[in-house]
This record gives sequence, C-alpha cells and structure tokens, in this order.
Amino acid sequence: MKYKALLALFLLSSLVFIGPACNRASYGADDKSKIHVGIVFDIGGKDDRSFNAAAWAGVKCAEMGTLPDGRTSCGKPALDIVLRDVEPGNPTSIEPAMRAFAERGYDLIIGVGFAQAPIMELVAKDYPNLHFAIIDGVSQLPNVASLIFKEHEGSYLVGILAAKTTKTNVLGFVGGMDIPLIHRFEKGYEEGAKSINPNIQIVQNYVGVTDAAWNNPGKGKELSLAQIGKGADVIFTAAGNSGLGAFDAVEQSGTINGRATHFVIGVDSNQNMVKPGFVLTSMVKRVDNAVYDIVKLVVERKFQAGFHVFGLESDGVGYVIDQYNKDIVSPEAIQAAEEAKKKIIAGQIKVTDAMAN
Amino acid sequence: MKLLREILFPLLAVLAAFIIGGIVVLLIGDSPIQTYRLLIGSAFSWPDGIGYTLFYATPLIFTGLAVAVAFRCGLLNIGAEGQLYMGAFAAAWIGIKFAGMSGWVLLPACCLAAIAAGAIWGGIPGVLKARFGSHEVINTIMLNFVAIALVSYFTQYHYKTPGDPILETTPIGPGAHIARLGKFIPGLPERIPLNFAFILAIIACVFVYVLLWKTKWGYEIRATGANPTAAEYGGISIRKQIILAMAISGGLAGMVGINEVLGYRYRYYDGFSANYGFVGIAVALLGRNHPVGVFLAAILFAILLRGGIFVDAYTIHVSKDIVDMLQGIVIILVALRPDAIFGSLKKFSKAKA
Repeated sequence: MKYKALLALFLLSSLVFIGPACNRASYGADDKSKIHVGIVFDIGGKDDRSFNAAAWAGVKCAEMGTLPDGRTSCGKPALDIVLRDVEPGNPTSIEPAMRAFAERGYDLIIGVGFAQAPIMELVAKDYPNLHFAIIDGVSQLPNVASLIFKEHEGSYLVGILAAKTTKTNVLGFVGGMDIPLIHRFEKGYEEGAKSINPNIQIVQNYVGVTDAAWNNPGKGKELSLAQIGKGADVIFTAAGNSGLGAFDAVEQSGTINGRATHFVIGVDSNQNMVKPGFVLTSMVKRVDNAVYDIVKLVVERKFQAGFHVFGLESDGVGYVIDQYNKDIVSPEAIQAAEEAKKKIIAGQIKVTDAMAN
Repeated sequence: MKLLREILFPLLAVLAAFIIGGIVVLLIGDSPIQTYRLLIGSAFSWPDGIGYTLFYATPLIFTGLAVAVAFRCGLLNIGAEGQLYMGAFAAAWIGIKFAGMSGWVLLPACCLAAIAAGAIWGGIPGVLKARFGSHEVINTIMLNFVAIALVSYFTQYHYKTPGDPILETTPIGPGAHIARLGKFIPGLPERIPLNFAFILAIIACVFVYVLLWKTKWGYEIRATGANPTAAEYGGISIRKQIILAMAISGGLAGMVGINEVLGYRYRYYDGFSANYGFVGIAVALLGRNHPVGVFLAAILFAILLRGGIFVDAYTIHVSKDIVDMLQGIVIILVALRPDAIFGSLKKFSKAKA
C-alpha cells in the first residue's frame, strides 16, 4: 500500500513533465532541405586546444565560414548546413550520441578519434543510407569515410628542422600513449633527422599506455627533463596535453644571449605561441581542412567512402613558420625542409609508415 | 506523516531542482520548455528512448542498492566504483579464460565471478573496519584507485588484442553473452543493449527488500546501523554485520559488470563506467535507501543521462552539463533534510510572532 502510493505520486509528478513532451517536438528550426551534419567529439571535448578543437574549427568553418569565435573568417565559404554537436564525456555515451543523429536521419555523422571506430561501424551498419566519417580511424564499410593523416611525412620535415638546429646531436621525442599511431610520428621524425646527419641520436619516451597518457603534463615534463639530462636540446612531443610539460621543461632550461638553449616542437595544432622563443615549430595536422572537405563532398553529393589520406601534397600535415619562430629557425633549415617536402610529394623520398607494418 | 515525508520530500527536491535548472536555462538564453522537452521527452520515445533509459538505469540500480545496503548498516560505501570495475573485469576474465565452455556453465560462472569480485573488494574495507576500526570512507575511496589501476594494468598487459589502440580485452566466449530483451519484446530492436541484467536488477531490488526487512540477517544489519551499542547489547556481533553488509554491498556493485560485459560490449572496456559508483550514492540518497526508491531514482538519473545527450545536440546554448547541474541541485536539496528546513522556518515564524 505504502509503495503503491509512492509509485502513484511519482508517476503523477512525472506526467507533469512528460505532458509537453508528447506533442512531438520540432527540435529547433531545422530546415529539412539543408544538409545535416552531426559531430561526436572525443572524451576530451571540443575545447582541448588541439585535436578536437581542430575538428570543431573545421565543421564551424563549414557552417558559418568563420572560426569558432564566430567573427574571424576561416578563409573558406560557408556551406549552408545544419550543424549539431555532442560531447559524450564518457565512453558509454558515444554510441547513443551517434544514434541520436542517425535516428533523425543526419546526412553526415563525424566521429572524432580512433576510439570511436568500432562504435561507428556498429551504427553505420544499421543506417546504410547515411554517411559517416571517422577521423584517425579506419573502417571498410561502404558508407564510412576514413580520414587519415600522413603524420610520418610531417614529422620527417620537423625532424630535418630539429637536426639542423641541434648543437648536441641528440634529439628527444616524447610520445603520449604507446600505440602504433604515435610510433608513426616517432619513426618519421627519426628518419628526417638522420637524413641530415646519420649520427644523430634520438632519445624517446612514452608517457604511458592508457588514455591517461594524453593528460599528464607533469610526467611529460619529467620525461623531457630526463631527456635534456641526456643531452637532448630539441624535443618533439606527440602527447596531447602531456606535451605541454615539455614546453615547461625547455623554458626552465633558460636562455643564453636571448636565445633559448633548448627547443620544443609542438604537435597537431599550431603551438608556436604557447612559449614564444622556445618553440622551434609545430607539426600541424590539418584536421580542420579534412573535416571541411568531407562536409563539402557531402554537400556536393560527391561523398566517397574509404580512405581519404591527407599528406604534404594537400597540406594535410606540415610545419608552421610564423612571427613567433621565424627568428629561431635558420633559413638553411627551412630550405632543407622545403626540398625534402618537394621530394616526398614527388615520391623521391619514401618515409616509413610505422603503422603500415 | 512519516510516509508522506519519505515520498514528498524527494519529489519536492526533484521538482525544485527542475525549476532552478529552468531558470538557469532561461538565463543562458534557451527555452526551458524546449530544453526539458528534449531532456525528458527523448527518454520516453519508443523504442530507443525507453530501451536506452532502462539500459542506463540498470547499473545505477545496482550501485544504488549497494550504497543503500551499506548505509542501512551505518556505513558509507564510496567504493562502488572500484567494486564494479573489479566485478566487470572478473566477469570478462572468466568469459575469456573459459571461452569454449557451454553457456549453461559459463554464464552463471561469469555472473558469480562478477558478484564475488565485487564482494571481496567491498569486503576488504569491511574487514579493515571490523578488525582495526579504520574508517570505511577512506578505505573505499583508496581502493577505488587501486581497482581502477589494477584492471587497467591487466587489460593493457595481459588481455588486450595486440596492436589494438583501444584499451579493451579480447572478446568473451559466445556462451557468456546475456540475451538482449529485444529478442523477446516485439518492436524493440536487438541493437538496443537493454538485456537480462535489467531483470536481474529488479530481482536484486526484491532480494534487498526481503533481506533487509524479512530476514534475521537484515534485521541485524539494520539494528547495527540504527544503534550499534544497543545492537551489541542485544547480542548482535557488530563486526560480523559490518563485514557482511560491505560484502553484500560490493557484490551488488560488482553486478554492474554483468550488464556491461555480458550484456553490452561482450568484452571488458577500460574506463567504461560513467561514474556509476558515485551516481549510485545520489541514487541511494534520493531513493531514501529503500529498494523501491532506489529503483525510481535510478530511472530518473537514467532519464537525465539519456536526455543530456539530446540537450547537448539539439539546443543552441545549453550543453549537457545541465544534467550535472540538475543532479547536483537534487543531491543538495535532498541532503538539506527538508524537515530541518521546515523546522527552522517554523522557529523563524514563531520568533517573528
């Protein structure tokens, strides 16, 4: 009796809320004639200043023709789409988030990060008429586009810049999670450096083996300091948020006559301005361009499944020279990198892809 | 009067939280009605809404019951998170090790492994408290870290498919799969992961009710929680009750692994829990540590979990953090002990008069 009353009361009160829900909501002013794009971010969320942020910049550019701040132009035309995004926050919410878009027939659903690949395959099988795109992940399904980057090529070029800058002939590499994707950065970097000076020594460390390895700047700094102790004077990080520890480590080493004694190379987004004067360059991965391009293909009804590979030839990867580092990198180093870039595009240099084997 | 209070105050807390949440949504610049329509309406659509809501509710029922049982014994189990990870990994471990076995043996073995692992992990702080008097809150919190690191280590170094960048074990044997309810309910597609673990959660509610209110053991547990000195005087071994309650609590938390590993992913996926262990504390609090209350509170929190995704996707300004905010307000309001507020209000009006 006691609990019947409780149940009845609860149901009654919930009716108050369900009431308005029953007259099928229109979910905002979605114009049915427009292309609908839904993006599901990684656990990090869209404001991680790196990988997710780049994907966000790409879709925002496609929606508004501007950067995410809504004012500055991104240099490309807006594509007249309806854009919706979800930050799942935990791994259990990724699948329902994708399905939330699929249930409403979204034309393109973008998943950010390799961890979403198996989930996207599940959902994409249930909705063969919708288009899907996975960043950094691989899928063979006929309605999934795999957006892949040739990180090894970009890393090769920053390896050249590092080799041209080092005085100790020892270079450092700090990886995030110890996985094949990051080995790809490391291998390309090493090959680039050795193409300038075969005697160069590379000291490499990984922050960890779990997801937490992307978000441990303290350990990133300790590894960098240890590498500096071993003589490394240029450190390349591919470690997400943990990489910021390396920025602290080189700053701590200080300057002589106004020039830093140790340098760091940023990754994914342009990180030259993080510690101006201490950042040699950044190996950028243009996730924003890749995302914009895939949205454009869907809008033009030219979507193609399979691999979409972004390398040096399409500016999918590269290094950045801007006002923060133009005085640090020698013109000779840039020249060497540019030559190598031409040769890689022409196929004269083959950079080993550590993920291919 | 007591019954009314038990029912009314949690409801008032929820209602008040929604009103405050609505004001915040209005201030952010979206329509509260539209937002609540998404938040709650998306949980009641058929089949995806209801299917997913009940699927989300399943682990919350287990952890809510876990916290409630410990609480009835006067213990605060903050360690459900660690216990459920141990349970989930144990279920997966048996499922992988004996993958070839027939389902009739393997499935119960996996379920028992999940319960046993959780019970042991919950029992440890119970023993420490009973034997050495060390506080269970500290110990359960600390054991969370140990459990999460331990299962992560085993996944990474011993049970992962080599070369897989995702931190998950190899799949469990097909015999250990729990049937999805979609197989039996017409109109509910099998892609929705709602499975028999939900039925198990309802059975667990009944079990906890019978245990606590219809058996001698339960009476002893409740007596220990209500007044340990009096219980001891009455001939009850408090130490035994503490260990028993913590083990039952841990076992219930471990059952989350049945839903996750045997019913959803068919493998252990590192970091799968959406803070189920901690939300379980809120579920027990809102549910007044009673199985029926826990069940209803778990459904409510599951609605919020599901609706949060839709709010995040289909509103312009409001993000899914609205859900965390609503949860927070509910917990604060429930924890405020409304009777205390009414008491002080009465005093206040009296003083004024």
